Amino acid sequence: MTARYLFGRISGLVVAVVTVSILAFLLMHAVPGGPFDETRSPLPPAAKANILRKYGLDQPIWVQYARYVWHALHGDFGTPYQSPTETVLALLARVWPVTLLLGAIVVGISFTLGLGLGVLSALRQNTWLDNLLTSVATLGMTVPNFVIAIWLIYILSIRARWLPTGGWGEARLLIMPVVAYSLQPLAIVARYTRVAVLEAMAGDYVRTALAKGLSPAQVVVRHVLRNALIPIVTLLGPMIPDLFTGSIFIEFTFRIPGLGKFFVTSIFQRDYPMIMATVLLVAVLWSLTYLASDVLYVLIDPRVRLGARGR
Amino acid sequence: MAVSRLLAGVVILLLSLWGAGVMSATTNAVGRPLPADAAPPEQQVLTGLTQPATTLDFFVSVYKRPQNVDGNSWSNVLSTPLVRLDKNFNLVAAAAKSWEASKDGLTWTFHLDKSVTWSDGTPLTADDFVSTFRLGADPKQAWDFAWFFSAIKGWDDAVKGTIPVDQIGVQRGSDPYTLVVTTTVPAPYLPGMMLYSPPLQAKALAASGPFYNTDPATSVSSGPYVLQEWAKDQRIVLVANPKYSGVRPFIQKLVLKFADLKTEFSAYQANEVDVAANFSPADLQVIENDPALRAQYHQGFGDFRTYYVGFDTLHAPFGNLKLRQAFSHAIDRAALIKSVIKQQGIAAYGFLMPGFPGSQNDALKGIQTYDPALAKKLLAEAGFPGGKGLPKLELWLRNERALGQAIGNAIAAMLKQNLGVEVEVSNRETKLFMDELNGHRLQFYIVSYGMDFLDPANMLGIWLSGGRHAWKSDKFDSLVKTASSMVGNPGQRLAMFHQAEQVLVSDVGFIPIYFVTPGFMWKPYLRGDALSADKIGVTAWHWPGWDGLSTLHQSVYVTKDVSKYRR
Amino acid sequence: MSLQGVAAVRMLPAAPRNLWAAAWWRYARNRVRVLAAGTALVIVAASVAAPLVAPTRYDVAEIAESLQQPSPRHWLGTDAIGRDVLSRLLYGGRTSLEVALAVVALAVLVGVPLGVAAGFAGGWVDYAVVRLVEISTALPALLLAMLLISVLGSGIGNAILALAVVAWIEPCRLMRAQTLALRNREFVEAAWALGAGTGHLVWRHILPNTVGPLIVVITLTIPRMIFAEASLSFLGLGINDPLPSWGKMVSESVSYMQVYPVLGIAPTVMIALMVLTLTLVGDGLRDALDPSRGQPTGGLR
Repeated sequence: MTARYLFGRISGLVVAVVTVSILAFLLMHAVPGGPFDETRSPLPPAAKANILRKYGLDQPIWVQYARYVWHALHGDFGTPYQSPTETVLALLARVWPVTLLLGAIVVGISFTLGLGLGVLSALRQNTWLDNLLTSVATLGMTVPNFVIAIWLIYILSIRARWLPTGGWGEARLLIMPVVAYSLQPLAIVARYTRVAVLEAMAGDYVRTALAKGLSPAQVVVRHVLRNALIPIVTLLGPMIPDLFTGSIFIEFTFRIPGLGKFFVTSIFQRDYPMIMATVLLVAVLWSLTYLASDVLYVLIDPRVRLGARGR
Repeated sequence: MAVSRLLAGVVILLLSLWGAGVMSATTNAVGRPLPADAAPPEQQVLTGLTQPATTLDFFVSVYKRPQNVDGNSWSNVLSTPLVRLDKNFNLVAAAAKSWEASKDGLTWTFHLDKSVTWSDGTPLTADDFVSTFRLGADPKQAWDFAWFFSAIKGWDDAVKGTIPVDQIGVQRGSDPYTLVVTTTVPAPYLPGMMLYSPPLQAKALAASGPFYNTDPATSVSSGPYVLQEWAKDQRIVLVANPKYSGVRPFIQKLVLKFADLKTEFSAYQANEVDVAANFSPADLQVIENDPALRAQYHQGFGDFRTYYVGFDTLHAPFGNLKLRQAFSHAIDRAALIKSVIKQQGIAAYGFLMPGFPGSQNDALKGIQTYDPALAKKLLAEAGFPGGKGLPKLELWLRNERALGQAIGNAIAAMLKQNLGVEVEVSNRETKLFMDELNGHRLQFYIVSYGMDFLDPANMLGIWLSGGRHAWKSDKFDSLVKTASSMVGNPGQRLAMFHQAEQVLVSDVGFIPIYFVTPGFMWKPYLRGDALSADKIGVTAWHWPGWDGLSTLHQSVYVTKDVSKYRR
Repeated sequence: MSLQGVAAVRMLPAAPRNLWAAAWWRYARNRVRVLAAGTALVIVAASVAAPLVAPTRYDVAEIAESLQQPSPRHWLGTDAIGRDVLSRLLYGGRTSLEVALAVVALAVLVGVPLGVAAGFAGGWVDYAVVRLVEISTALPALLLAMLLISVLGSGIGNAILALAVVAWIEPCRLMRAQTLALRNREFVEAAWALGAGTGHLVWRHILPNTVGPLIVVITLTIPRMIFAEASLSFLGLGINDPLPSWGKMVSESVSYMQVYPVLGIAPTVMIALMVLTLTLVGDGLRDALDPSRGQPTGGLR
C-alpha cells in the first residue's frame, strides 16, 4: 500500500461525493412537491412564486447547484426549512452527538457480544447451543426494531411502570432504545462471525497448525480469527456508519432528538438543504468506511495487494 | 396560663373556620385563586405531545405550529387575537372590545381593549396588528397561508408584489386603539376570520425578526403564557404570563413534548401526558375494555372534518355521472361506522357536518343512499356491467394512519362486493398526493377537509372550480360566490348555500363518507367549565384546543386527584 | 434458485458420479436440517398454493366481523375490516417470497460478478466498481423510490427493481474482498502458474471459499427486503392494498399490538421461520455438497 494508492482512493472519494451530490440534487428536485404546503387547496400562483423565490428555487437548476456548491465550499450549507432558526451545520452539531452516543453504545454492545457469541457458536458447531444461538439470532434479524420498541414500551412502561416511554437526558432513558436498537446488529454480527470463523477453520492451515502441536485456543486466536476477519470487516464495517447515522423508528418511538429522523423527514418535507446535508454526510462516512476496510484488509493479510493491476 | 390557652383555642378555632376559605384563596403563580378541589399551584401543570414545530405563531407559519391532531392546536398562546372562540363556538371579545361594519359592508372597525399589554409592558396597539398582517402579505416572508386573507383589500396585490404591503386594507384608525379592515367585497364572515389575528409585536418583529418567539430572550407575549424554554426537537415549556390582563389560566405551566403522535396513547397510559388524541381502532378497543379509560374518553367534533371519496369528473371514466352514482350507492356508511370507525365518526351524506353553520345532513340523506341493487343497475347503465370495461382503479389515500387505511380498504372491499369492481388502495405521501390532486391528475381518492372558519363559505368554497377538485358546476359556482358575499339577508344566504350543497351531492362531485368526531382523552384530575358539556352536550376538548384562539385554557385546572396518577 | 446454483458451482471440479445421492445422504444425516428443509417446503408450498388452501381470498371482507380474536371460524382472527388473517398470511407469503427471492437473485447475479471482477482485475475496473458502490450507498434510496413512483407507478415489478438498486451492494463488496484476499494465496498462485484460466480460478477457488458468508448475506437480505417492500408499499410504490405481504402485515400490526398481538406475531413468525429454515438449509447444503467440510475441526472441540 503506497501513498500513491491512498491518494488515488481519496481522489476517488472526491469523485464519488461530487457525483452523489449532483445526482441527489437532480433527484430531489425531480420529485414532485416542494417546501410549500398545498394540503388545503392549490396555492395562488403569486403565493407559491414567493415561496420559491424565498428559497432560491426560481432559478434554473444548474444555477441552484452552482450556488449550493459555492456556498458549501465556504462552509455555508444553508438553513434547514424544518428549523429555520439555525444553520444546517448548527443543526448537525446539535443532533449528531445524540445519535453518535446512542450509536456508540449500540456498536459497543453488539460487536463485543456478537463477536463472542459468533465464535462460541462456531466452536460448538451443530450442537444444541449452536442451534439455539442460530435460532435466537434469526429472530433478532427478522423482528424489526420498531416492533421490539413497541413491546418494550408496553411491557416496561405501561404494564410494569419501570421506565418512561421516551425522552432524552437521563441514563435510564437509554435502556429501551439501546435494547431495541442493538438486537438486530447483535444478531447480524453473531451470524457473520460464526460463518466467517467456520470458513476459516476449514482452511488447510488449521489442520497444519494443529498437526504442529498448537493448542486449539492458539489456533483460533492466531489463525482462525485472523482469516475470519476479512469477511467480518467487509460485512460489518458498514454497520458502523449505519448505526452512527441513527434510526427514524427508534428516535420517533422514544422521542430522541437525534439525526436519524432527518433522513426521512427532510425528504418528506422537501427540505432541500437538509437532504443535501444528509446525503453528503452519508457519502463521506461510507466512502471513508470502505477506504478503511480496504486498508484493514492489508493490515490483516499482507498478501492482499490493493490497486494492483490485474494480470 | 389559662388566658394564653384560651387565646390559643380561639386562634385554632378561627383557623379551622377559616380553613375552607384559606384553601380556596390559594392562588397560583400569576395570582389566580384556585378552586377548592384544586391541587397545589406547583401541580397546575399540563403536559401534552405535539408534532415537531418551528413556531408558535400563526403568522410565521400555519403548518409548522405545534399540533396534536386536526383541531387540537397548542399554539398562539403568546398572543391575544382580536376575538376568541368559546366552547359553544361563539365569538367572544379578546383584544377587540367591540367591532362594527360600515353600511356597505366593506369596512370593519375594531376597537381595541386598552388594558391589554405585552409582557415587556408596552401596550398592544393597532400598529402591532398592522405589522402582523403586513408580514403575512409580504412576498419576502412568503407566508404559507397567504391565500387565506384574499378578501382583504389589496392583499392579493401585495402578495404579488404589485403594491407595497403598507397599502393593504389593514390600517390603524383614528387612534392607536382602533383597527380598520377593508375588504374587496362584503365579507359578513370577517369577524369570524379575525379569529386568525394573533398579533406579533411590531417592535420585536423589527428588532429580532419573525422567529422572536423561539427564544425566551427575545420572546414577548400578549397572551396567557410566556415562553420559558424551547429545546429544539424536544420540548417547549410555557409558564403563565404575570402581566396578562385577560383571564389568567389556572394551569401555570404548559409542557409540549415533540413526538411521533403514534406514541401518544402509550404515553397517556404511562401517565406521562395529561391529554391524548389520535386513536387507532385497536386503541379504541383497549379503551372499550377498560371502564376507567372509558370514563376518560370524550367525543368531540374537532375541526368539522369531512372524509370523502373524490374523482376526476372531468375525464373518463368518472366523467360519467351514472358511474359516480353507482359508486355512491355501493358504499355502506352505516356498516363502516358500526364496525370500523366506531365512535370516531358519524355517517356523512353532505359536506357540512351537523353543528356546522348551514349543515343539512339529514335533508341530503336520500340522495346517496346505500342501495346495492340500484348501484348495480346504474353501473350497467353507465356502460360497465359487472365492472367490465373499467380501467384498473387505484384509490389513493393521503398519508393515512391505521384508521384511514382500514377505511380505504373497507371501501375497496364494498365496491368489489357490491359492484364487482376491482380497486387497489395506495397510501401516498402527502406532498405527492397533493401535487396530483391540485394538478387535477388524481382519478380516484379519499381525502378530508376541515374548516378554517365557521361559515359555509369556507367549506363549500373549496368546491369552486379552479380549486383542488376536478369537478365543475357553473350553478354551484354562482350560488356559492353570490351567497358568500351576501350581506343583510341571512335567510336567503343560507338557502343558497343549501342549494349549492344539494347540487354538489346530486352531481356526485364526491361521495361523503363520514364526519370526524375525534376522541379526546384527559385524565380525571382535569376539571373546568371548558371540559363540561356544551350547549349540544359535547364534552370534548373543543377546537382549536389549548390555543390562544380559544378560551379553553381559561377554566381548566388540576384537581387533588392528581396525586393518584402522577409519579 | 441462486443459492443452490452457487453451492452447486463449487462442486464442478470434483463431480463424482453419485454426487447428488451422496450429497443427499450427507444432508439427511442432520435431522434438524431435514426438518428445516421440510418446513421451508411446506411454507413455500402453502404460499404458492394459497388460492387452493386459504379459507377465503385475501380481499374478502366481512366488515361486521372486524377485529376478532382467533376462533374456530377464523383460526388467526380477523383484521380491522373483517378479513381472515390466516388467508392473508398465506397470500402474503406469496408476495413476500416472490419479492425477496427475486431481489436476492438480482442482487447475486449483479453483485457477485461485479465484485469478483473488481477484486480480480483491479485497476480501473476496481476503481469504477468501488465508485459505483459508494455512489449507490450514498444516494438516498427513499428519494429514488419516490421518483420511481411518479415515473413508473406501483407494482411488484417496480418494487423489485427499486429494492434491487441497493441490494446488490453487499454481495458485491463481499466478493471483492474475498477475491482480494484470495488472489495472492499460494494455491491460487500455483493454479495460475499451472496455466489455469481466470474463469477456472473463480469457479474453483474464489467462489467455494465465499459460499458461507454469501449464504448469510442472502439469508439476511431476505428479511431486509421483506420489510423494505413494506416501507415502499407505505409510499404507494410496491404492493398496493388489498394484496397482503408479510412485511406489510407486520408494519400494519404495530398499532394493534396491545389488543390483537396475533396480527403481528403471525407474520413475524412466518418471516423468522422462513429465514431460519433457509439458514439451516443453506448451511446444510454447503456441508452436504463439500464432503471435506462435514467435521472440519474435530480437534478444536
